[in-house]
Order: sequence, then C-alpha cells, then structure tokens
Amino acid sequence: MSVLRRRETTLVAAVGLGWFILPFPCSAQEKVDFRRDIQPILAGRCHSCHGSKLHLGELRLDRKTDALRGGGSGVPAISPGKSADSLLIRYVSGLDAKTVMPPAGPRLTPEQIELLRNWIDQGAVWPDDEVESAPRQESAGEHWAFLPRARVATPQVKNKAWVRNPIDAFVLAKLEARKWKPAPAAEPYQLLRRFHMDLTGLPPSIAEQDALSNPTPEALDRIVNDLLARETYGERWARHWLDLVRYAETNGYERDAIKPHAWRYRDYVIRSLNRDKPYDRFVMEQLAGDELPDRNAETLIATGFNRLGAWDDEPADPETDRFDQMDDVVSTTSQVFLGLTLGCARCHNHKFDPLTARDYYSMIAIFNGLERPRKGRTELDLPVGTPEELEREAQRDRKIEPLTKQIAELRDNFRGTFLAGGQSSLAPDVLEAFRTEPGKRSDEQKALAAKNAKALEQELAQAIPANIKDEIQRLETRIRELRDATPDLPRGYFLDEAKLPGATHLLIRGNARAPGPEVAPAVPAILARDQPVFPPPDGTSMRRLTLARWIADSENPLTARVIVNRVWQAHFGEALVRTPSDFGRIGEKPTHPELLDWIANWFVENGWSLKKLHRLIMTSNTYRMSKRSNPAYLAEDPENRLLWRVPYTRLEVEAIRDSMLAVSGKLNTAMYGPSMYPFVPRQALEGSSDPDKIWKPFDEKEASRRTIYAFIKRSMIVPMLEVLDFCDTARSSPKRINTSVAPQALTLFNGDFVNRQARHLAVRLARDAGPEPDRQIEHAYRLAFARRPTAVETASMLRFLNEQGGGQNAMEQLCRVLLNMNEFVYTD
Amino acid sequence: MDSSISALCTPDRSRRQFLWNAGARFPMLALVDLLSRDGFFTRHAQAAPAKNTPNPLAAKPPHFPAKAKHVVFLFMNGAPSQVDTFDPKPALTRHHGQPYKGDLTVGSNMRAVGHLMQSPFEFRKHGESGLEISSLFPHTAKFADDLCVLRSMYTDTAAHASGCLQMNTGSILIGKPSLGSWLSYGLGTGNENMPAFVVMTDPRGGPIGSASNWTAGYMPAAFQGTLFRSGGTPLLDLATPEGVSDRTQRRALDLLREMNEVHLHSRPDESELAARIESYELAYRMQTSAAEAVDLDRESAQTRAMYGLDQKITSDFGRKCLVTRRLLERGVRFVQLYSGGGHIEDTWDGHNDCISNHKLHAGETDQPIAALIADLKRTGLWDQTLLVWGGEFGRTPTSEGVGKPGRDHDWYGFSMWLAGAGVKGGQAIGSTDELGFKAVEDPIHVSDLHATILHLMGLDHTRLTYFYSGLKQRITGVRGNVVKKVLS
Repeated sequence: MSVLRRRETTLVAAVGLGWFILPFPCSAQEKVDFRRDIQPILAGRCHSCHGSKLHLGELRLDRKTDALRGGGSGVPAISPGKSADSLLIRYVSGLDAKTVMPPAGPRLTPEQIELLRNWIDQGAVWPDDEVESAPRQESAGEHWAFLPRARVATPQVKNKAWVRNPIDAFVLAKLEARKWKPAPAAEPYQLLRRFHMDLTGLPPSIAEQDALSNPTPEALDRIVNDLLARETYGERWARHWLDLVRYAETNGYERDAIKPHAWRYRDYVIRSLNRDKPYDRFVMEQLAGDELPDRNAETLIATGFNRLGAWDDEPADPETDRFDQMDDVVSTTSQVFLGLTLGCARCHNHKFDPLTARDYYSMIAIFNGLERPRKGRTELDLPVGTPEELEREAQRDRKIEPLTKQIAELRDNFRGTFLAGGQSSLAPDVLEAFRTEPGKRSDEQKALAAKNAKALEQELAQAIPANIKDEIQRLETRIRELRDATPDLPRGYFLDEAKLPGATHLLIRGNARAPGPEVAPAVPAILARDQPVFPPPDGTSMRRLTLARWIADSENPLTARVIVNRVWQAHFGEALVRTPSDFGRIGEKPTHPELLDWIANWFVENGWSLKKLHRLIMTSNTYRMSKRSNPAYLAEDPENRLLWRVPYTRLEVEAIRDSMLAVSGKLNTAMYGPSMYPFVPRQALEGSSDPDKIWKPFDEKEASRRTIYAFIKRSMIVPMLEVLDFCDTARSSPKRINTSVAPQALTLFNGDFVNRQARHLAVRLARDAGPEPDRQIEHAYRLAFARRPTAVETASMLRFLNEQGGGQNAMEQLCRVLLNMNEFVYTD
Repeated sequence: MDSSISALCTPDRSRRQFLWNAGARFPMLALVDLLSRDGFFTRHAQAAPAKNTPNPLAAKPPHFPAKAKHVVFLFMNGAPSQVDTFDPKPALTRHHGQPYKGDLTVGSNMRAVGHLMQSPFEFRKHGESGLEISSLFPHTAKFADDLCVLRSMYTDTAAHASGCLQMNTGSILIGKPSLGSWLSYGLGTGNENMPAFVVMTDPRGGPIGSASNWTAGYMPAAFQGTLFRSGGTPLLDLATPEGVSDRTQRRALDLLREMNEVHLHSRPDESELAARIESYELAYRMQTSAAEAVDLDRESAQTRAMYGLDQKITSDFGRKCLVTRRLLERGVRFVQLYSGGGHIEDTWDGHNDCISNHKLHAGETDQPIAALIADLKRTGLWDQTLLVWGGEFGRTPTSEGVGKPGRDHDWYGFSMWLAGAGVKGGQAIGSTDELGFKAVEDPIHVSDLHATILHLMGLDHTRLTYFYSGLKQRITGVRGNVVKKVLS
C-alpha cells in the first residue's frame, strides 16, 4: 500500500540510472518511516532466516536491540546514522563480493536498498514495539565473576576449636550445614612431606625429619616459614607459572628454532617468586615492563611473556599469521590474568560470555605495536638494561661504528691494490674472480673465490704494509677500550614496540582480509563501567601499561580472584573455581564463593604477597586435613566440592623426577642459566627430521639439575616429561592432566633415568646406613617417604633381597621398586 | 552455568572423571585367545591377571554402525606429484616446455618457476574400472578396482610444516590433536596391551614438525601417537633394563604390586592409586605383546618375500607394512607409516629431480603397499580396515627452474587415495584443471577428508567434540563435509 506508492513516486529516477550511483545520497530525501517503509522489507526478505524462529549468524532482525547489536561477527548490522558502516547495507547492496543478502530469491530492488540506506542515515529510528521482549539472556553483567568482590564476614561455626584462621571457618560452616565433619589432621610425617613437596618439590631430609621431634601446629608453622624462605620454593612454583604462560624454548613448526635467551624469562620468574614480588607488580612487569617508569633489565626480560608462544617462521599466509601471533598474546593474557576465554571472540561474539568481537579487537589494538625482532627467519634478542644503560651501550656502538668502518675501508683499499698489483701468486682467473664484485660473479667465479678465499687471506696478511697494519691495530685497540669501558649488556628475548601501532580494525569473521570498522584500544566493556584512560604515546604507545595497571588494580573484579584460585589449586589439587582459566558463564561456579572473595580481599590487603597467601593456606586446619576418604561423604560428594578432605593428586613429573634425584643423592642444585638436556634415548630422536642436531650429548651432572632447567623443545618434549602428563606448550595450560597409563610404567620401571637413580641410591644406602640390609631399608624409606617402614614392609623387602641373592644388585632392584611405588608419586 | 549450556559441554573438571569412568574393559578372553594362538604365552612368565579397572583407552561404541574399525595412513611425506601418480594430464604433454600463463602462484618460497613439464611416467587404465594409474605403481595398480582416488584435494598452505600439521591435525597451527588421537579418543582401542595409535617413521628421519604431527594436543597424553620401530624393541623403554632377567623383572613387579596394595589397603576408595597399580601390569603385558608384534621371524618366507623384505629397496617400508598387518590383528586402531623422512630428496619433496625422486620413493613403497592390501584381503582384515594414501599437498605441473626436472609445491590441487572398508573402489572423484594445477570439480578440502575418514569409522565429525578453552573443539573446526561419493 503505502510502500508501493512511495516506490513509485520517489525512486523512479534511481532505478533508471542504475544502482551503482546509489552510494550518493539522494538530494530529495524524504523522511523514512520504519513501520511503513522498512519493516515490510525486513519481514518479507530477512525474517525467515533472521527472525523469531531462526537466527542464522546469530542475527535477529525482528527485534530492535538484537538488530542494532548485530550478529555473531560483532559488527553492527545497523549503525544509526552511518549506512556505510552497516553490514546490512554492505550485504544487501552487493558491496561484499563474498556475501550477498538475501542469499536466495531476487535481490532487493535498488529502491528497497535506498530506503534502508536513508533510514539508517536518518538515524535508524525504530519505535519500541510490542514484540520487543526480555533481553536474550540473563543480564550478563550480573555474572558473579564480573561483579566487584564482596566484603564478606567470617561465618560463625559450632566447632570453634577447629578454626585456626578464617579459611577454616568458611569451610567448616559449609560442612556443619550438612552436619559433616572435616577429615582429621594428617599425621605429622605426612604433613612434613606434604609441606616440602608442596613448597619446594623435594622431600624432607632425614635431618629435617629428626628436627620435628615435637610436631605441634606451631612447630609445623615454623617449617612453612622456613620452606618459604628457601630458593627451592621459586624453582617449584615458577613451574606452575610457566605452564600458564606456554613457556618453551623453541618456536615449533618446520625449523623449531631456539628462542635465544628465553631461559632468562624462566629465571626471572624463579627470582620474582623467591623475592616475593607483589603479584600486581609481577603482572605489570610481564605485560608492560618496557613501559614502566623504572624499567630495567629485569622488567624487559619479564615482557618475554608476550613472545613465548609458538611461531611459524614460514607462514602460509603472512596477514593471518600476524593476527595468529597477536591472538596468542591476547588469548594468553586474558586467560592467565583474567580467567577469560576472550580468544573465542576472534571470529564472532563470545557464545556464552558478554564478550564481543569488538572487545577482542580492542585488546588486539593494545598489543598491536609489538613487533618480533628478527632478520628474515632468524629471531633476534635485544640488550636489556635501564634506559640509561641502554643509551650508554648505544652511544658506545655509535662510536665503534665509524671505527669498524675505517678498518674495513683500510682492508678493502689494500685488497684492491693488492689484487691489481700483480704481487699475488694466485692464477689470473682467480684474481679476476676476486676483482669482480661478489654480486656480479659468475657461478664459476663464485666457486673459484670460495675455493681460494683462504689462500688470498694468507697472502694479504703477509703483504700488508706495516703502516696500514699499525693503523688497523690502533683502531682495534680503541674499539677494545670502548668495549671494556662499557661492557656488553646481557640480552633478552621479548617483543619490541619500536614504532607506534597503526590502526586496528575489527576483522569480520576473523578474516584478516575483511577489515571491519576501526577499533580503539579498550578493555572488555563488561568489566569496565569506565574505560581506563589510554594516554598519548610516550616513546611507546603506553597501551600495554594502561592495560596492565587496569588488570593489576585492586578493584579489578577478576585479577585477585583468579590468582588466589590458582594458588589454591596448586595446594589442594582442585581449585575453588574448577575451571581456573575460565571464570565466565560456561566455567564452573566457585565451590566456596564467599571464601574465594574473602581470600582475594585478604590477598590484596596484604600487598598481593604470594608468600603470605601460602602461609595463610598452609597454616589452616583445612590444608592440614588428612586425605583419608569417608565412604559416606564420598558417595554424596564424590568430587569433594565441600572440602571434607584433601584429595589425592599425583605429583607433577618435575616433583617426581627431582625427588628421585634428591633421594639418590645426585641432585645438582645449581640454579639459573641456560637449560640442560636430560637423557633422551636415540629412538626418541628418530621421530625428528634432524635426529643428529636437535639434542645435546648426555652430561649426567648437568642433567641432574632440577627439571625446571630442562630444555623445552616444542617438537620433541623430553619423553619422560611428555609421558608423565607434562603441560601442553602450544597454549596456556591452567591445569595438568593426570593419567595413569602403561607407557608411564614403562618409563619409570624400565627407563634409563629411574634405573640410574636406583643404582645411585643403592650406593648411597650402603655408604650412609652401613652394611645391614634392614638398616638400609629403613634409611631408604626415610629418604623416600619421610617415615620408617613397618615390620611387614621390612619383612617383604628383606625376603625380596634374599631371593635376589642379596648384594648390590638386589638392593638396586629394591630401590627401583621403591622409586616406583605409589607412595613415592603421591603424598600421604 | 545454565542448564542448556551444561548440556552442550563437558567442562574441564569432569574430564578426569570421564577418563576413569570410560566404560567397560575390552573382553580379555578374546585377546588371550588370539595371542595364545600366536604362541607367546608359552615363552613368557604369565602376567598377573588384569583387574577390572577403567581405562581411558577402553573401547567405545561409534556414533553409528560402520565397517571400518582401523585406519592405516600411508603418509607420503614431502608431497607426491599428482600429475606423475594418479592424475593423468594429456594437455600437459601437449604444452610441455611452454611457460605457464595462468593466474596461480605456482612457486613457493620464492623458488624459481620453470615451464610446464609433462610426466615421464606412462598412465594406463587398470582393472575392470579402467582407473588410470602411472607406471610408478605397477603393484598397487593391480588393486585399481579397490582404489578410490581423490583427484581434487586441496589444502591451505604450501609449507611442509603447516601442511603436515593440517593433514594430521586439521589445523595449520601447532598443538591440535592429531587424527589418530581423535580416533583413539572417540573409539578407544580393542587391545589395551597395545597402544591405540602407532606411528612408524622413516629411517632417514621423521616428518617436519616431528611429534607435533602425532600429538594429542590439549587431550590427555594417553591419546597421543606412540612411536614404534618395526624391529627390535619397538617402543621406548619397552625392554627390561640390561642385566635384569625376566624372572627378576617379574619378581620386582610383584614386590611393587605387593607394596602398592599395602598402601592401597588403607586407601580403598582411591581409584587413581588402583589404576596406577594396574598400569604396571599392563606395561608388563605390553613388553611381551608389543615385542611380539614386531617379531617377523614368525612370518613365512613367502609372506616376507611378498612384502619385499628380501630386497634392499623395499625392506624397510615392507617391514613396516607387515608389522602394520600384525598390529591391526592385535587391535591397534590407527597406524601411520611415513615414507620419506628428513629433508628434500630423502622425502617425496622432489624440488631438484622429481623424476628420480619419485622413482625412488614409489619403488620403496609400491610393492609393500600392494602386499599389505593382498595380505589384508587374505586375513579378512580388509573388510574392517581403511587405507589412506597421500602426502601433505601436491606438486606443480611446472618444473622448478627452466629445463630442470624438479617440481615445486602445489596446494591448490593434489591426489590421494582411499581403499578398504566402506570405500567404493575403482573410481576417481573430482578433477583438477586441464594442466593439473588446481582442484576444479568437486574440490575436497583436508577437513572434508577428515570428515570422511571419521564417517567411515562410524563417527560424525560434528559430534566428535572435545571441550577445551571455552569451546567444543572439532578436528574439522567449522568446516568439513563428508565426501559421499567415496562411500560404498
């Protein structure tokens, strides 16, 4: 009716001229009316796929808010006032070669397109209608993890005697509500071993066992303090962090090239934890250590965080590759620090969380200035220091540069004279080859030059006149002096923001060739009522520092919760939020939400100190509960969500391997520095395309260092680590998977490493415990399990020794069994 | 979490539980029967009987009934040339020596681009179907009526590393689970005394990317490929340590079991501890069963000769093919054999001289592959085994550099073949353009191949998902269509 009339009257001209002129606004624009002009088009041609029944592409065009928000691509279908930015127009008008809407039936007529365009340019007025119903989902902003932490009071409990600190009150209150009791305290020897394994990854020595003669709770508290002060603490806990940051020392892919000096990042983490660096500072250093006002070598090395991912140095598609690299950084950052799976929003709005593609690309914009220092496929490292130190080294190099140039000129000039002068004994065609510029040599000449290079060098060295030689020497001395005065700075492995980032565009469906609207740097909108202010660039874009400050802000609803939850998981085997890198709606809710908030508040108030947090947890009675099961509770709560006990969790391969070394007496405690290469059987190297080149020869002393110092090669993880559930190095790994499969038994029972340690242990027992087998067995039990064997156990062991004919061989076999026992790879 | 979401996904937390509740054990009786017929129990101390503990690799039912129970992936590492193997191009002969004038980027990595180069290998029609196969494969050609050639394969990359990753894991990015892992995850294994997923590499080296081609990625390590050697000690740490007798090995295991059971006695509810005890018994049985699987002395001289074990050129791949048959008999789900390893001419990567390169690698593999087909037919395994042949991409119909017989990488179009259970043989599906550069008719992306392989194994690629990092992951990502024409 009215639509038809309008078509006839106002758009005849446009039809006649062809639809390619339509991008220009009509001069005699009439006010477009939604109900009269637009709704019939949408209803007639769009709603069958984007209406109340079907929402293809997650797009609905039958409701105002949905239509304005757009579909899964994250680009608004309708941008009021901006028809050119509206996907609806792009698709219906044929401006996008790949996507034309509607996909079936005739295209929209030019006048229909023009109506839509004008309606949008006039502000897309869409009167609220009765169809407009409740929002698509529960108000996503009310998701618990996105709300500020609650101020919670410690709950009241009946059994007040059990409460050593507020953690116990929160746990006990939930148990008492069901009339349950917490598990009894674990045995002191169990707690001693648990403390040591938990904090240092190494078992307690016999002297340490003897020192705990009176195991009062307070005596145990002192052990916690003692262990927290040890450097072995950092070696243990740094590994938890390295799992999260996808740490590895090679790039993966075809060449799997070594990341130069990546190990300095590993050392940085160990040192930071040992110094109890406040977690908020730890976060800022890793994200933006190069933008901090007090930046220095350490904070630059910390930003290695951004460069630890896998990298294809021969990408199939360089444009996509750039975004793959950026995705690695953004996905890792959002998972590690915020517990958000923002990476899901790369191609479309997040399916479950209120995170949009715009949020994702706004985060990309924050990192988009980072570049990989490289020369072709070869990655470069960079010097590290304070701005002053870096400037001094740069000044020095600026002085050295002309000197080096002078030396080269002196040599070149003399070489030219020499080649022209007929003093050489080399054949004329060889000399001719040398006289030809390297780039212009024929294949033959190249071969001649290569073959005779050494001979020419010798002749030149003999023939060089004393004055030139002296001059070169003088210059070289000068260079040496400059270098001595300002020695080389150490080098680190991190991305560089040498120039300011260009514009970042939202990519439609994640396609690097389909840039959508430009986005500004921003943090995910759902988390920030007020966006942080991104200041103007100062050397670098300062965007990462802005993000880092926002993440490390005490008011950020996620940061503190996420880290205390991770620490809880490492102590208990299971976290309070059991999806530790996904605090979104698809993730688990906390088993103890009030406890989580209480600890997070406490943690922030106590200066983000991880050591204080360990102490808080480990001095609770909750942590000191036994692991003993209770069949009735187990039946009702098999996942231990009420925390009625501490669960059994197999030790990580690092703790197993390091403990074996400690027990055998062969642990090399040397800390830090380039990585060591554990023994890898030849057979395991055969799977590589370069079996002879990828691994270093076995050096037992080096290889007996702690596992955190083992070289992590993406294409060939040390088999013992891999088979024992080492983390995935391709991406952030929030939790070790824990399996018990036959290849693990083969590795631990037959493999070189364990049998070697069994031999060493047998020697140690004979040396330390004397010749009596029962004394040796007792010693072995104390070393391995921090307890004495029972009479039954001793009898079994002795029987075995006798059957095996006694002696060193039999004891070796006994030790081999000991190191394989369940009690060795589990605590308690 | 709202209920509709929880119905969709298996959150991380329950993964371990899932593993430990993964279903009933494969009936041991059938296995014991099979292996005792092979005679190995008589030679070895009897292992302690298996307890009924759950296992992540326990056999699981497919989504729908399917003939294929096993896959053998004959991976021609380095990328074979389609126009020299299964995609005859008379036009290429007509235009031989002329420069290529089309609009495809025919060189990779800035290598020199030469002229169109005809295949020196003669194509002939074979079998009743008249399927055309080049003279590189006289033995395989005898089974032309069993082969389903996919002439219109294409992939997303022209680099070996990402190409191998895509063919094996569905993604050009590192760290995704491989096809064998998906099948192990989806179907488990018929014999837990053997790995579910076995990889045998070339003595010249592994494929580029090494273990990332058989990784379990974000899945538990139990699903990753196990490197197997086709002789001696097939598995890492399989052999009892030097100087330890069989008797001592068993006695030491008995002591371990005894001590572990004492420990378990006061912790009766801990299924993890029980499972770990059981893993040592499984390992012990594997010591026997895996070593026995590669013991080819048990095969007749005639069989050995059929696989080419008596000739230097075919003996390595022949051993691997014969071991494959023995692995399939023992229930292994997925076997991947690599022809070619290390770099360039040691693989099918014929940059310098594609002709002699392909003569070499085809010569090494043709007879063993034909023998495997014949042997599977003889033993009845043919009806439950799917064979996949191919590399990470194809090679250009142009030479690499003028007048040189090398060929560069071609990812726009290449050939693979499928054969065996559920496959309609004697046909070629799809086609490349007149010169053999690019898939034009019925193009088949690598993800379509994966979807088809899973379909043949009774799995729907859209339903075989693994929840990780906020998403239900699939090997086919958001792509993948089953190639219906393949199905018999």
